[in-house]
Amino acid sequence: MSTDPGSPAPQSDTTLRRVLLIFGAAALVLVFLVFVTLRNVSQSAETASLRNQSDTLLSGLDALQVTLMTAEAELNRYLLTSDARDQNVYQGKRVELREQVAAITALLASAPEDQKLFIPVTELLNRRTEDADRLLALKQTGDAGALRQRLIDTGAQGDLRELERRIGQLRDHHIALLSTRDRDSSQQAQSTRWIVIGGLVLELLLLGGAAWVIRDALATRQEAARLLQTMNEQLEERVRQRTAELSATNAKLLAQNIEDRWAKQATEHQNRYNLLIIDAVSDSVFVVTKLMNVSRMNPSAVHLTGVEPSGLIDKPFTGIVRLADGEGAAPTYDPFARALAEGHELRSKRAIVTTKGGQSVPVRLDMYPLRDRDQVVGGVIILQTIASSSLS
Amino acid sequence: MSSARPPFDISGMATTQRTTRRHILVIDDEQPILDLLQEYLTAHGYRVSTASNAQQARNVVEAEAPALIITDLQLADTDGLQLVGELRVLLPGTPVILLTGVLLDARAMEENLRWKISSYVSKTAPLQTLLQEISRLIQG
Repeated sequence: MSTDPGSPAPQSDTTLRRVLLIFGAAALVLVFLVFVTLRNVSQSAETASLRNQSDTLLSGLDALQVTLMTAEAELNRYLLTSDARDQNVYQGKRVELREQVAAITALLASAPEDQKLFIPVTELLNRRTEDADRLLALKQTGDAGALRQRLIDTGAQGDLRELERRIGQLRDHHIALLSTRDRDSSQQAQSTRWIVIGGLVLELLLLGGAAWVIRDALATRQEAARLLQTMNEQLEERVRQRTAELSATNAKLLAQNIEDRWAKQATEHQNRYNLLIIDAVSDSVFVVTKLMNVSRMNPSAVHLTGVEPSGLIDKPFTGIVRLADGEGAAPTYDPFARALAEGHELRSKRAIVTTKGGQSVPVRLDMYPLRDRDQVVGGVIILQTIASSSLS
Repeated sequence: MSSARPPFDISGMATTQRTTRRHILVIDDEQPILDLLQEYLTAHGYRVSTASNAQQARNVVEAEAPALIITDLQLADTDGLQLVGELRVLLPGTPVILLTGVLLDARAMEENLRWKISSYVSKTAPLQTLLQEISRLIQG
């Protein structure tokens, strides 16, 4: 199976980079939003301040106009009544008028254009005050003719109309300014609203993107984990199977090993047992090869020949035993080898054993071929001693 | 006389509890044969006790009656068949396998010794043959 769960480390790095990138963009958007919002709030505050200033100025101008009219009325009253109380009231109104002019001048300190508009007003007010002072002085002198002439010359109504026009001009200017500021403030509010909404939407999109990237990475990681788990399970299963196979093979080998050891001991035991049987026989027993060489002899044979096994093993059997005369043994003819070659038994043959001491011992000989799967591989020869008389 | 744990498991019985594993007594005067049989039968899930002479065999039988007895014909201190006759008195229903390397006529053995032994297995036969005989006699 060639399943590759992927390389988790690079995937993780890529995901981390993407998420950091998205959060960086979100942070930038947030900073931009905060900046724009603060700027707009600041502008709104400034606009509100200017609006308040305009409102105060308009109120001041209205009050100034009222005070001016009142002062003119009080002046005329005094000129008609010559009552000191009226004069005092007029003087009070003049003080009030000065204070209002000072207040308006202060309000316009930071607005040079408005100052330009208000300067003619103050000049007119000053001229009017000076005219009033002259009228008061004439009144105090009691020269009614001069006073009347002065009233005609001053043209108070014309100054008052001019004052009214100038004040109205300033008021109209500020009303227009107020309207402009209201419109700007409204536009700022709209702009702020849309920027904030747009920013929030962008933030949501960025956060959604980050969530998608994280979800994608998690899904990939889960898939990799699942594949890894599957591979592990398959590997464990293969290991279990292989272990079971090895255990079975090991058990089989161990069993075979015991069987082999058993077979070996059985063979040794059987061989030993067979030899015991051969050795226990009282007759002389020789085991010979196919070529009639001695491969084994029992103790009785050792006793008969007087030769130890080491002296006879792998030596020709015919070196110590020959068939007795009269059995037709030609010099070139070996009846034992022929019998073995043909698979014949030799039974009750008379033979002569030549012992180690050179003595000839007559024996009766039986030879049986040893077969292994129909192939003659050797023979067993049994000798029984017989009396010399029997031999003859 | 000894008992041993299985060196390997062939039949899946190596984890069987001691009480559920069948007890077999093996009697032979050759220690290598005792060791081999103990190893082999233990591996096949049997609990094996061994005895190299008649007295040890009697001790095992007295301590815990075996489910089956495997004995050689020739022992150091007695004849296997004589010992089997003695044990038969103590354990009338216990099957006995005569395991010997002595050349015997199987048919004659079966006819003459049926009352003493349940089965005859040559030591030249594979151990699998012995195992089959044990299974047949114990579980059959």
